[in-house]
Amino acid sequence: MNRSKKTSRIGIAITIVVLIVIVIVSNIKIEDMSNVENGFGIIVMPIQNGLTYLKNWISGNDSFFTNVGTLEEENKNLKEKNSELEKNLRELEVIKSENEVLKEYVNLKDKYTNYETIPGYVINKDISNFSDVVIINLGTRDGIRINMPVIAEEGLVGHVISVTETTAKVQTIVDTASTISCTISSSNDNLIARGTLDDESNLKATYIPTDATILEGDKIETSGLGGIYPRGVYIGTVKKVISTKNITDRYAIIQTAVDFKKLDTVLVITQ
Amino acid sequence: MRKAISIFILILTFVIIYFLQTNIFNWFTIAGVMPNLFIILVLFINLFVGIKVGIPFAVISGLYLDVIMGKSIGAYTIMFGLIAIVVGLLEKRFSKDSKITIILMVMAVTAIFETGIYGYQAFRLSGYIEPISFIIKLLIEIFYNVILTIILYPIMQKAGYKLESIFKQNEVLTRYF
Repeated sequence: MNRSKKTSRIGIAITIVVLIVIVIVSNIKIEDMSNVENGFGIIVMPIQNGLTYLKNWISGNDSFFTNVGTLEEENKNLKEKNSELEKNLRELEVIKSENEVLKEYVNLKDKYTNYETIPGYVINKDISNFSDVVIINLGTRDGIRINMPVIAEEGLVGHVISVTETTAKVQTIVDTASTISCTISSSNDNLIARGTLDDESNLKATYIPTDATILEGDKIETSGLGGIYPRGVYIGTVKKVISTKNITDRYAIIQTAVDFKKLDTVLVITQ
Repeated sequence: MRKAISIFILILTFVIIYFLQTNIFNWFTIAGVMPNLFIILVLFINLFVGIKVGIPFAVISGLYLDVIMGKSIGAYTIMFGLIAIVVGLLEKRFSKDSKITIILMVMAVTAIFETGIYGYQAFRLSGYIEPISFIIKLLIEIFYNVILTIILYPIMQKAGYKLESIFKQNEVLTRYF
């Protein structure tokens, strides 16, 4: 009995002491505890830091995976948009080139209103270095016949030498087998111009009348003689006049108006 | 069957060369002069495949080019046929292993072919010749053809021996022994 009384007194005393300590501690300001906190911090913080790092790493990876998913989707959408824009661009390019060709046709038609013409374009060029024949996309079904003259916006191109249902072979004026009767537009003097091997943009003008005055820069056009080319179609300008001892042998180099290397659009004169 | 496939491949090669010649080589010129791959093809076929296939191939190719591009029917047909016959006759006198021999043959065949075509057209159509301009252009074309032959020689040789084994299987050994 005495023993149990003694134990309860000790218990009461411990409880009172604990309560007093709690009361004292709870009344101390937190700032005054910094030293204790530091002491604890030295022990706890490295572990805490490690745990925080681990937690952040895991949560960070998670967000990385989330971002990758989003980026992939964004990338896919952008790619789709890009391909659609590229497709639109291609379509626009086609429309643009069609527009250019049509404009060229209209310009050509306006320029040569005196003639009935059919527009076409060059689909093939000669495989030989010693001749200049081109194939155009017009044939008998378009009303094309042999010997019809062919012109471009700049001037005379040549004439049709053979024709199929869908294509026609055109011998250009710069072909070595081509000879054209032409006139100097300022003086109306006749001469003969033929293709040469030297240059694809030059013609050699011969049979110049002895009394004719021919100067560099003179304009040359078809004379209408020969039955193929109509009169007055522009051929080119005199580039150089070469005088010889015998005046009957003098000749001139004519720079063609048409650039045969870039020849694309043509008109066939049907009437 | 192998022969049929080989002939089909040769026709396909002709078509590819046609498109190269009419579209690409118009832009890749040396001083405005294009090469002539048809000449190399005809030479190659007659050297390795033989005249039985080579001559009909050359004549049909020539006829096709005459119809499609020529100013009159006959020039390409005659010249390709002539080249095929000459190469076919001389084929056993030359070693196909020698690059120099092939180059010399390309030079000679180009010169014969172009002179023939130009002469034919000049006398038949225009009656007018420009010898100096022609020779200059011809020399450039020969040079261009030789360059292409040097570039294509490894393929030509490989394909050539393969074709030779298909078309001349009974003749290959007898040539050497």
